[in-house]
Amino acid sequence: MEQKTVLHAQNVRKSFGARGNVQEVLRGIDLRVLEGEFVGIMGPSGAGKTTLLNVLATIDRSTEGSILIGDADISTMKDRELSAFRRDKLGFIFQDYNLLDTLTVKENILLPVSLGKMHKRVAEDQFKSIADILGISELANKYPHEISGGQKQRTSAARALINKPSMVFADEPTGALDSKSASSLLGTLEDVNKKRGVTIMMVTHDPVASSYCSRVVFLKDGMIYSELYRGDKTRQAFFQEILKVQGVLGGDSVDTL
Amino acid sequence: MTLFNLVTRSMRKNIKHYYLYFFALILSVVLYFVFATLQHDSAVIAETNRSMNMSAGFQVAGILLIFIAGIFVIYANAIFLRRRSREIGLYQLIGLTKGAVARLLIIENALLSAGALLVGVGIGILLSRLFLLLLMKLVDFDGFIELNFSVAAILQTIFVFAAIIALTSFQMVARVYRSTLLSLFKADKSEEHPKQPKSFLSAFLGCLGIVFIAFGYWYSGHMLNALLFLNMLIVLATTISGTYLVFRVSISWLLYKLRVSKNGHLGLYNSLSIASIMHRMRGNANSLTIIAVLSAMTLTMVAVACSFYYSTEKDAKQIMPFHYMVLLGKDEDKDHQVDQFLQELDSEGIGYTASTVESLYITGEIMGDDFPTWLNGSTYFSIVSEEQLREAGLAVQAPAAGQGTVYDASLAWILKSVKTPYEVKLLDGPKEFSIKIEQLGDGNVINFPSPGTQIVVPDLVFNEVRDMIQGSEVETFTFRTINIKEDQDLDKAYDISRQDKYTAFSFSYYEMYKQNVQNNGLTIFIAGFLGLIFLLTTGSILYFKQMTEAEQEKNNYATLRQLGFTSKEIMRGIVKKQVFVFGLPLLIGLLHSIFAVKSASFMFMSDITLPVTISMTLYVVIYLIFAFLTVGYYRKIVKAAL
Repeated sequence: MEQKTVLHAQNVRKSFGARGNVQEVLRGIDLRVLEGEFVGIMGPSGAGKTTLLNVLATIDRSTEGSILIGDADISTMKDRELSAFRRDKLGFIFQDYNLLDTLTVKENILLPVSLGKMHKRVAEDQFKSIADILGISELANKYPHEISGGQKQRTSAARALINKPSMVFADEPTGALDSKSASSLLGTLEDVNKKRGVTIMMVTHDPVASSYCSRVVFLKDGMIYSELYRGDKTRQAFFQEILKVQGVLGGDSVDTL
Repeated sequence: MTLFNLVTRSMRKNIKHYYLYFFALILSVVLYFVFATLQHDSAVIAETNRSMNMSAGFQVAGILLIFIAGIFVIYANAIFLRRRSREIGLYQLIGLTKGAVARLLIIENALLSAGALLVGVGIGILLSRLFLLLLMKLVDFDGFIELNFSVAAILQTIFVFAAIIALTSFQMVARVYRSTLLSLFKADKSEEHPKQPKSFLSAFLGCLGIVFIAFGYWYSGHMLNALLFLNMLIVLATTISGTYLVFRVSISWLLYKLRVSKNGHLGLYNSLSIASIMHRMRGNANSLTIIAVLSAMTLTMVAVACSFYYSTEKDAKQIMPFHYMVLLGKDEDKDHQVDQFLQELDSEGIGYTASTVESLYITGEIMGDDFPTWLNGSTYFSIVSEEQLREAGLAVQAPAAGQGTVYDASLAWILKSVKTPYEVKLLDGPKEFSIKIEQLGDGNVINFPSPGTQIVVPDLVFNEVRDMIQGSEVETFTFRTINIKEDQDLDKAYDISRQDKYTAFSFSYYEMYKQNVQNNGLTIFIAGFLGLIFLLTTGSILYFKQMTEAEQEKNNYATLRQLGFTSKEIMRGIVKKQVFVFGLPLLIGLLHSIFAVKSASFMFMSDITLPVTISMTLYVVIYLIFAFLTVGYYRKIVKAAL
């Protein structure tokens, strides 16, 4: 069975700063993500994990290189097209949840489809099935300040999934959660990935979190250092492997504080 | 590093935090200084001293101004402090004592205020000349205007602002001493969350608010009786409390219902408007109420003053239908004076028409049912012949045969509400004569001051009444009327008639007109000046509030843009919110003021639709500038969010 390519990045470079003081954060990244993959991005602080995610997720622009998501070349799109693309094709989960605290859980989740063409009844059905999977149906009318961090992150995940995105980007989704909520959320994400076939790319520094992935990409100094595939290994075995690579990679002592 | 160094450094680095407060300070200083300068200007003093009312009005306006400036500065300072509370917390976190932080803030405040005073007085000196010219133009002052640099005004301004600065310093110190570190760090997060309103109570209070306002409006049209003052208080109390309830309950309730009906499918635009408004409704209810009420007050004040100014000439003409009207006495002297005056007019080449009008001064009773009881009883009437008036050059509408038209500029506001036709029974001892009154005429037909309500009748009726009073004690007054042909000659004629020898010419149309122009000019100036200040204050408060909100919601805009909404789409939702935030208080204020002006319209004899429309339009235009500024600020924030 041949899998479709969802994301194809070629020679992506990104540098910050003005002339004379240019700092190159991404130094030529080639990456191909297939449909249904759950890709983790790991690496020490300053390796360019979040920058890579932002660039791939169209939030930031690369300085060089081409990025294809589906058939669309996002590196040549205008800002306006990018916005529409993000809304229709991508989903986001952030470390700080980024929920609108003026909206209820349901209103937050339905926000991305509010200006789209999705019919209200379809949106309602979609909301119900996603809220069921994520276990937040009961919270629909609660405000973010009334629910726990884990519930907030589930809400955030539901919001990312509501528009049936071709790809979901998650930036340290477990960064602000306690270990129990974190593993429960990751389990759900794994579930969503397997059962609904949603492609996910997740940046994390936590080896436990990345052990839920089907593949882990390690970055170092703006370049891909190595890759690990989980294959048929158990999560525990995969975790050990990740730890090994991380040990070789080093420099993570600050990050795991 | 000394504390003073720290102050100057932090001020340099945080300019953008300061400019809002600095602007508020400067604005208040400028306005107050301009006002103080005018207050101490010799020409203005000379003008205001003419009438007790005017000098009192100026004084009251001055006090009101201090009050408004004080509130405004304190409000701006509160916002300023909230924005900086993290910084204040940080100073304490790194080990500065509360005393040191308080001292730091006071030094800063003193520096800022001194700067604002300097800049404000500077701008004020430039502006006060402009305002003085405007004032003198409004009161029709012809003399040479010179504006002296007024030390007294500066001292007064410094004194007032020293007091205000002391208050704000106190406010800062209280803030430092009374907040915990934690609350300082959390101050920029809004803590309010919309709650589900208790359905019955909310529905009841919400309706009550609307009922209060409706009652106030209705009652404002029915308050012309002996209890006028009490009635006015009732109207004020019901409309103001109604306004508060509308903002606090009715609107939240409506929004809540609307939101529930959406069942979570709120959409982007509503999320940015309705949800954001509901989130802060409790905090906003007070300020929106104050703004609506202040707007209503300002609008009414300006519209009424504008109407007075606009109708000055018409009103003077209604009270003084003839340029001169001399009541002849028993002796020949007054007649003589009139002849002499006419000769002088001739020799000056001033064209005029002169004639004679008689009036029969007789007691009588109005037999109308709906005549207010508190004015019942017999009163005096002046019966005037329509033909004599016509000959004298006053074109009044001819009453039908056997009927009469009532004229009384000073009672017109009551007589307006009496249903015609009604009968007036004239009494002379045992003899009676009834005249059917078919309508109320405009203004007077005999110049002020003349006693008695005037009834204009056809010559035939006039002669019948004259026959009836033959030989009794009822008096017949004879007036000589003079009308100057060209309006531009009025001034010259007035110079002649005001000479001491013309004792009979103590009242004239032109003198009254001049006086009214002065009074009304000063009134409209003060009202306009205060109105401008209210407007700037309310506009700035709304602007500041929205600025704070925009900054609090910055993260939301960033999230929305990450989710793929364009800044244009986000702005559409924000504009919707601004329509609500600015539009609703304006709308309610306008509505209030329309009813207020309507109930005050009894003071005017002429139609005031035009001046009221003009002044209200002007107000709305200036007010909307603030709305556009606010939207501009949001746009900047949204664009920079990602």
